[in-house]
Amino acid sequence: MMTLAFGLLALSAFFLWYRKASWGWSLVLAALIIGIVIFVQDVDFSTNLGIQL
Amino acid sequence: MSQPIVTPELARALNFVGMMAMVGVLIGAIIIQFYYRELPCTLCLLQRLAMVGVAVGAAMNLMLGPDARNYGVCLVSAVFGMAISLRQSMLHINPFFDKSTGLPTMESTANMPFGESILGLNMYVWGVVIFGTVMLAVAIAQLFHGQFEPSKKEPKWLSQLATIGVGSLVVVVALQTVLTFLECGPGDCPNNGGWDWWILR
Repeated sequence: MMTLAFGLLALSAFFLWYRKASWGWSLVLAALIIGIVIFVQDVDFSTNLGIQL
Repeated sequence: MSQPIVTPELARALNFVGMMAMVGVLIGAIIIQFYYRELPCTLCLLQRLAMVGVAVGAAMNLMLGPDARNYGVCLVSAVFGMAISLRQSMLHINPFFDKSTGLPTMESTANMPFGESILGLNMYVWGVVIFGTVMLAVAIAQLFHGQFEPSKKEPKWLSQLATIGVGSLVVVVALQTVLTFLECGPGDCPNNGGWDWWILR
């Protein structure tokens, strides 16, 4: 999952550099959505959120 | 008609500086990772992901010209990174809860900081500083609307600057992608630091 997110960003940067692609922002948003999914999976809401935050 | 304070060319040059700052932080993080032989945790990698997002937004401003959408990419990435950094700082800032059990304790060693500190601050606290700075910089940058006006012919030096700068971003992001795959593989990333590469298991 994390590799996929970085891979999308790498593609976005590459096509921006190679073709001046203006659609790279959608790949960035897709990578951030994957990041949010990873983040939500990482948080143990039952024990951590209530006590430590 | 008077010349705007921030011309499209100046805005692109400033975006180059911002993008290279993010690239510098990412290179520094990779060097520290190998120097201390400490793999980044999931939250650390998510902060790097957000930094790359900020850098790509700045790179789009640099390559395609300043645009509100590109600044939006920077801002959304910075907000995401700030959430991750604050979460990780909160996990380590309060020593009165044992991280392993989640129960209150008076042992100040129950929740030690993660990783080495740089200039007195841990990497995730630096994350709060960096993403806060990005938000402020993007907000201030958008005050100057002269940059959004159509620009004349692109100067050659700016075109070369953009090619070299974004090229370096591509190399760093590709390196980070490979390192992430070697560390995590296709599944979840390890959370406990150390030197436990997925590829070596």
